[in-house]
Amino acid sequence: MIEIEINGNVVKAKAGEMLIQVTDREGISVPRFCYHKKLSVVASCRMCLVDVEGAPKPQPACSTPVNEGMKVHTQNDKAKASQKAVMEFLLINHPLDCPICDQGGECELQDVAVEYGSDISRFSESKRIVPDGDIGALIQADMTRCIHCTRCVRFGLEIAGMMEMGGTGRGEHLKIEPFLKEGIQSELSGNMIDVCPVGALTSKPFRYELRSWQMHSMPNIARHDLVGSNLFVQTYKGKVKRVVSADNDLINETWISDRDRFSYEGLTHKNRLLEPQIKVQGQWQQVSWKVALDYAVKGLNSHVLKHQKVNQLGGLASSTATMEEFYLLKKILTEVGCDNIDHRLNVKNLDNVITLDSNIKLGALEKIDYALIVGANIRLEQPMINHRLRKATKKGADIDELNVMAFDFNHPLDTKNITAPNKIAPTLAGVLKSIMISNTQELPDYLLAVEVGEVANNIAAKLLNSRSSVIILGEHIINNEDASTIANLITQIAQNTNSKTLNLSITANTMSANWVGFVPQNSGMNVNTMLASDMRGFILLDIYPQYDFHDLETAVKAFTKDDTFVISLNSFKDDIVAGYSNVILPIASVYETSGTQLNINNDMQSYTAAVKAPDEVKPAWKVLKVMADLLALPSFHYADSAQVLAEIFHQPQTKHTHDENVNLTSKHHGISIIWQNSPYSIDAVLRHSNALQKTKIGQMNSAYMNQASAETLGLSADDKYLGVPVVITNTVADDCVFINANQAVNTQGQT
Amino acid sequence: MISIDAKKQIDAWILKYPKDRQSSAVMQALKIVQAENKNRLSADTIQAVADYLDMPGIAVQEVATFYENYNHKKVGKHVIRFCHNISCMLNGADDLILHLENKLGVKTGEVTPDGLISAKKVECLGACVGAPMFQINDEYFENLTADKIDQIVDNLK
Repeated sequence: MIEIEINGNVVKAKAGEMLIQVTDREGISVPRFCYHKKLSVVASCRMCLVDVEGAPKPQPACSTPVNEGMKVHTQNDKAKASQKAVMEFLLINHPLDCPICDQGGECELQDVAVEYGSDISRFSESKRIVPDGDIGALIQADMTRCIHCTRCVRFGLEIAGMMEMGGTGRGEHLKIEPFLKEGIQSELSGNMIDVCPVGALTSKPFRYELRSWQMHSMPNIARHDLVGSNLFVQTYKGKVKRVVSADNDLINETWISDRDRFSYEGLTHKNRLLEPQIKVQGQWQQVSWKVALDYAVKGLNSHVLKHQKVNQLGGLASSTATMEEFYLLKKILTEVGCDNIDHRLNVKNLDNVITLDSNIKLGALEKIDYALIVGANIRLEQPMINHRLRKATKKGADIDELNVMAFDFNHPLDTKNITAPNKIAPTLAGVLKSIMISNTQELPDYLLAVEVGEVANNIAAKLLNSRSSVIILGEHIINNEDASTIANLITQIAQNTNSKTLNLSITANTMSANWVGFVPQNSGMNVNTMLASDMRGFILLDIYPQYDFHDLETAVKAFTKDDTFVISLNSFKDDIVAGYSNVILPIASVYETSGTQLNINNDMQSYTAAVKAPDEVKPAWKVLKVMADLLALPSFHYADSAQVLAEIFHQPQTKHTHDENVNLTSKHHGISIIWQNSPYSIDAVLRHSNALQKTKIGQMNSAYMNQASAETLGLSADDKYLGVPVVITNTVADDCVFINANQAVNTQGQT
Repeated sequence: MISIDAKKQIDAWILKYPKDRQSSAVMQALKIVQAENKNRLSADTIQAVADYLDMPGIAVQEVATFYENYNHKKVGKHVIRFCHNISCMLNGADDLILHLENKLGVKTGEVTPDGLISAKKVECLGACVGAPMFQINDEYFENLTADKIDQIVDNLK
């Protein structure tokens, strides 16, 4: 630590840090545009000039390292004169169209101009005008307002990992623009809006809506991935108008993904379900909550409870539910006497599931020196986790993938090991064998016959030689015939190499579901057993079968059976749900309910509702609570969701046991299909967010396969497979079709 | 998009820089690619250079738009770069540029109908000692007068 003097006060500082870091920490205001704490320093705007005693000219605080005994003045005549001069230059070409600019009221240029700007402009020549291209559905460009701070350029290069904006031309003709006409494509692009200090880049869906001071800003938690990014939901007259990021260095630093930023648009989609409905003699009627809930409870009583058919009642929830909702639905079923609950709707074989710990903190991911990614397109599936890995690669970490397809990463991959689905387990077994041989350990029987290939040897050597490594298991493995074996091999590899593991095969709030034990206990049936059994009643929480189930047909058949009474709690209208349900109850979507999200690091983050749900829509936890009351179940006395959470804390946490078997004898042949909802189609509110759907990621809808697989399936590039357009590419492994779909699953031929 | 011959020339430049610093060859690569594409660059050729050097397209575009010697619009077989910076201006460049425009029958920034010549105004080319001056392709012509310009232009084929 050293001591320096700023404006006559002595402050402590770390040797070598930049002056602006010290002034920021001490709360001393220094104006700036190009400096951003998470981006590299370029010192191009010159706004942060301060007077350093002994220096002949004023120095930029953002790129002046502090020295012992340094004496700095941020507000004396020399500093002020420099700052005013810079301000005057910056305003020369700025249009000063604040009254029609969306940034007005939250504009760094505006704020600084109030303090340092001159009342009268001495510039009487004409200002330059920059024509704008369309740079995509999310960001509105008004480049005449740009002051060339290059924060967006550096954001693309340093954070998003794809340089999309750049400064073209020179001198007076310099403009910031993207190269390609297709517009900005990064999954983190919305952050450019946050970093832009002026109104050059603003939110397109929010354009001309409101002024920042008209809105309430409420802290909230993102729901679309395993990170639970912190954000602010900004509302006006009970409507969500915008979402911006909040700082939390442990979780999302200062960034949020586009998915988290723009999903709110879905809340006001015309497909929102606004009133309770009951189906009487095949006709849907809109009714009051009282009528609907009475009808629901009567239906449950007459179909299930009265006949002592409790075992034929099932409760299913999608991964978007809150922790409280998982708990209450589970409690209702437990209290009436059955254990048929599940959230693992898209797993084909529940005897073959992934069990893998996540034991590395998000922050620690930046410090690893080796990562192995198995079965994940991590950039699009978990953007914020990928961002941490990218930071690690910038410090020199190696990353290998063991994927069924070569995905676009935004960081260098050491090797792309494109591996057929049925070769992943044998490859990992080879890795384990290679490691155990290196460690001169005794080999278990199942490894004796395993062949160790070059890929396996390479991975093993890297794991053994790395100081800190992580093995990441992703979504593409959940329906792999070796799923549990793959997870168990990874656990063993990690144990033998002191590696950490990260289980990204789950999504959204699945961590909460597991926490409260929303899986069948004792004699309870799992989802697949339920769908195959003679069920008489279902309570379905936010389920859209054509997106959520691996097998739409079986699910719909089970729900549609004549004497099956189905209560659906949904946020959006859906024909398939309407087809099989007897009662549909409209429930709150994101930001409309209080609840709790559990992220991959077990960070439990509770949030309150930012807005009241529209019309008759109610939060699901309330609906479940009242339903329990009407069923005359005791001990559902909650005044708010916080009381539910408090009760969850008093429950013994569910312990999950699993076998550690490794079975390498599976002999699946033929072509494996990996069906995934595309990144902006993973839940209902995202599917209804117009702007996101218009982006390139939102439009992803392809069945990727290589030439050999296409020939086996008799397909050509103009065909569709399972309703999804075929793309033939040699980046896909043999015997594999990888589908990214933004449309409902088509069950034809889906096995 | 980039011919084998051009790739060979670019590779020779890449070798002059340390390993993995192939992007340092971007200016030469653009020059080489421009030469074989009617002396101009298009979005496609810029992207091709970017792909060849493993750079983002926009990063190459930045370079290509920064320097005057890269052409983004159609140019003539011969490009006249007429300096109109201080020294040349003081020595009558503006009048001579008008003279050249009249001689060619097109304005600066345009191409003669036969596609032979285009002219543009540029900033200082570092030949103030011989002001006023212009550059045709890679050659400098100094101490220009109206007569001298007529003679030089008439000799262009």
